[in-house]
Amino acid sequence: MSEVLSRAGDYMPVLLEGVWITIAVTVLSLLLSTVLGLFWAILGWTKIRAFQIISRTFITLIRGIPIIVQLFYIYFVMPDIGINLTAFQAGVIGMGIAYSAYQAENFRAGIEAIDRGQIEAAQSIGMSDSMIMWRVILPQAFRIALPPYGNTMIMMLKDSSLVSTITVTELTRQGQLVAASTFDNMTVFTLVALMYLVMALPLTYLARQLEKRYKKS
Amino acid sequence: MIEVSDIHKSYGQVEVIRGISFNVNPGEVVCIIGPSGSGKSTILRCLNGLETYQQGDIHIDGRRVDPEDRSIKDIRLRVSMVFQRFNLFPHRTALENVMEGPIYVMGIDPHEARERATNYLEKVGLADKLDSYPANLSGGQQQRVAIARALAMQPEAILFDEPTSALDPELVGDVLEVMRQLADEGMTMVVVTHEMGFAREVADRVLFLEGGVIVEQGPAKDVLSNPQEARTQSFLRRVLRPLV
Repeated sequence: MSEVLSRAGDYMPVLLEGVWITIAVTVLSLLLSTVLGLFWAILGWTKIRAFQIISRTFITLIRGIPIIVQLFYIYFVMPDIGINLTAFQAGVIGMGIAYSAYQAENFRAGIEAIDRGQIEAAQSIGMSDSMIMWRVILPQAFRIALPPYGNTMIMMLKDSSLVSTITVTELTRQGQLVAASTFDNMTVFTLVALMYLVMALPLTYLARQLEKRYKKS
Repeated sequence: MIEVSDIHKSYGQVEVIRGISFNVNPGEVVCIIGPSGSGKSTILRCLNGLETYQQGDIHIDGRRVDPEDRSIKDIRLRVSMVFQRFNLFPHRTALENVMEGPIYVMGIDPHEARERATNYLEKVGLADKLDSYPANLSGGQQQRVAIARALAMQPEAILFDEPTSALDPELVGDVLEVMRQLADEGMTMVVVTHEMGFAREVADRVLFLEGGVIVEQGPAKDVLSNPQEARTQSFLRRVLRPLV
């Protein structure tokens, strides 16, 4: 047992390097997917038909293509048309775009759940459309979208392992590298699994706290 | 101040408003009564640009009400609306609900807006509920917050769309009392209502609508106590003595 622990201790520094990259990929792509997702959702909500079509088409397209294929596309195909990204950049952008489709659906469900009377009340005190969006619809839609949003955060943390396929040395990739050089698959991947779990727990807690706080009002 | 002339409105093939005209003078209280589906809520919503109309004209202070035009915002600042289902913003406190328009639409200084909102909430008897969220208020209290929200815009007129229809019977009185007070102070009001007692006591004029037209109109006492039209008589019989 002590032997296992000491070997685990040897692997830790390398794996922790991976943890930081995993966190960076998750946080940055979460931000990107939230902003983009909101953009698609609002585009779909506008009364302008062309915007609605663009939004729907994008969401359908992105949801229909495996994330891993999207990552390959951004990292391996984009250079052919002159867009060269580092693996990390490609990973963040790829994950952000891929997940923006799911975020858009979360937000759309939230926006559509807002009672028509809310919009009428806002109109009746003279609010403009954009003000209605920011002051009345979105604050309420966020509350509704919060449980699925929390879920999405956790999925993004785990799915950040997909960027290992385009050589980003995040946790999973580091694990593969250590395991390949030591043949100690059992210890390495148990550690990797535990590290994901430890990262997921605070997210679960955070999501629950946010929900609780919003439910009060 | 409100001039409605020959309004027609259809949903698809169904014509719900079939030529309605009336005027509302400053300081006047006009109650619109009639069976459900008569078009009374629809015509009220047209006044505030919440519904479009296909034919005719509505003018408020001489400006045409056109929901598609930018001018609708100015018109809504002059004419506030109170809804059947209150439509308070659930994520904001009573005070914030009332401050919302003054701050974000009228651009009033937040301190001043807070003072104004507090005054109006006191006026409707809710001085102790400033920081309550709508979910923690009774229906009657919510509707009074909604009235304070309308008042805070300092409008020239307020439209009430069945303001007591969603309330438990014991809560109706408080809301009607606030409305009566407003009427006494000279607020111009157009009220779609089923409260015949309120109409009789407070309204200057009553319009009876059925089938998208005004069947009868006149001073409240005449229309409600001595209706001339058979359809008005039969409606009032049903409303006033529903069990007989």
